[in-house]
Amino acid sequence: MKADFRRGGAWFAEPLVWVFAGMNFIFLGCAVGLGIFLVVESVPVLRAEGLGFWSGENWWERFGALPMICGSLIVTGMAVFLVLPVALSGALFTSEFLPPSFRRRVKGIMELLAGVPGIIYGLLGVSFLTTGIKHAFNLLDGNTLFTAGVLLAIMILPMVLTLSEDALHSVPSEFREAAESLGLTKLQTALRVVLPQSLPGIVGAVLLGTGRAMGETVAVLLVVGSLDRVPGFNLFVSGQTIPSKLGREAAEALGSGLHWSALMGLGLTLFLLVAVLTFSGNLFFRRSRQ
Amino acid sequence: MRRYVWGVTGLVLFFTMAFSSFTVAGPGMRITIAGSTTVLPVASRSAQKFMESSSIRILVNAGGSGVGIHSVAGGRVDIGMASREVSPDESKRFEKSNLKIHPVGIDAVACAISSEVYDAGVRQLTPQEIADIYLGKIRNWKEVKGPDRQIVVVDKERHRGTRHVFMQYIFGNALQRTPGALLVTGSNNEEQAKIAQSDSAIGMLSFAWLNDDVKAVALVDRGKEILPTWEMVRQGSYPIVRKLNFITAGEPENEVKAFIDFVKGPEGQKIVEESGYIPLGSSQP
Repeated sequence: MKADFRRGGAWFAEPLVWVFAGMNFIFLGCAVGLGIFLVVESVPVLRAEGLGFWSGENWWERFGALPMICGSLIVTGMAVFLVLPVALSGALFTSEFLPPSFRRRVKGIMELLAGVPGIIYGLLGVSFLTTGIKHAFNLLDGNTLFTAGVLLAIMILPMVLTLSEDALHSVPSEFREAAESLGLTKLQTALRVVLPQSLPGIVGAVLLGTGRAMGETVAVLLVVGSLDRVPGFNLFVSGQTIPSKLGREAAEALGSGLHWSALMGLGLTLFLLVAVLTFSGNLFFRRSRQ
Repeated sequence: MRRYVWGVTGLVLFFTMAFSSFTVAGPGMRITIAGSTTVLPVASRSAQKFMESSSIRILVNAGGSGVGIHSVAGGRVDIGMASREVSPDESKRFEKSNLKIHPVGIDAVACAISSEVYDAGVRQLTPQEIADIYLGKIRNWKEVKGPDRQIVVVDKERHRGTRHVFMQYIFGNALQRTPGALLVTGSNNEEQAKIAQSDSAIGMLSFAWLNDDVKAVALVDRGKEILPTWEMVRQGSYPIVRKLNFITAGEPENEVKAFIDFVKGPEGQKIVEESGYIPLGSSQP
């Protein structure tokens, strides 16, 4: 029976395979359904505002999403920028230099932290980070885009760290042995042999972290200041991200025409941003391999 | 092989049953309430008391006045809470829902500032000064006889009841835009916390949420100083007063009516007073 399976024989005679196929269809249906739902629901606002929905700065009399788009990009960009050096060096050290027994403990802690929900980070942020940043930078107020960026960086760090470490650690030990037998030091092996080999996994880890940062709602909502304004080049002002806007207004707008459609439009925008991000990440990675 | 098939089939059946049970559970005898965080303490305390002597289950959620009105009009809750009137725009949009308003108490909204500014000498503001602060024309406390410190202007979400009555008084327009605002908050809790965390903030807050870190300033109305006290509210002198409302779609019936009558009755009105508001009938706003 099993042999049939491997040879690709009459698989459709297996009821279990039909169940698997059904499950696959459930997934496909969810993905396609979500996309269609977002597009259909945002049609009214796109019809009313046109491209102005993405370029407009006014979310009071009209629906212009530019402040939220800018806020999301800034906050996410900052989080990734802050996380990359820490996560990469941390992962490299854990994977290549820590003795196995320590490595297991460190990994355990990382994985534990990676599972902490956003709201916990939000509570930490709203009670310590806002006042801390306010005093550290002598600001008027601590609820800023910068605060949100730092909070998101702290939030996605364990996840990016542990996934990058997995990628590094899964490089077969033959590579290390070969490099060391050629006379490379441990550091040279790590940087020139293991790191390039594990790049696909690391890119994936960073993309996953970026996606989580971009979609985080409640932690950001508590510290970002929630002011709909295009922030310009100053990070130390309050702003708004797409998820925080959705979190604040969804309950009020539920089932109320254009406002609801505008929020769905924001959801669609977020969806597209993440899609573009993932796509370009993969593209960049493929280029760099050639 | 067969075992797996049964396993998977069992799992599918389990999920189907689990989901379908949601729709079957909880017949009748349940009241859902959502909306204004100002009215929330009254509703949740009354619900607790009411459930002691009744089998009816009452679920109370926050969200804000706008959420309360939209939810009850959309049929998602039985009672919406609002700390403001239904706006003309809303009553037009929800004409079909036949919204009925049931006042349960009276509240006043203070112009609240950080205690540090209050202690430094800012005890009163004119509506014009507050307007200029929210419009970004006044940016430093020293311009209103305060310390030389920039003002952290805290606004609230557009649909919030507290904001509606406050902006209506200051600007004559509940939906006034405020270019001077630095932060936007939602619930009373959040507004209170952000003003308390800052040492130079101004905001709007229901009287019941004032404390040692968040102080109310006196308003100067037509040259006369009006202290932000319940005494002034009872006399009818304090200008920013509002009713706390329960809203139903159509006339309330059965258990919903019983609960609203309970809150309007002597026990409920005592809870209104304990929550920091004024019971009905003791003043005419």
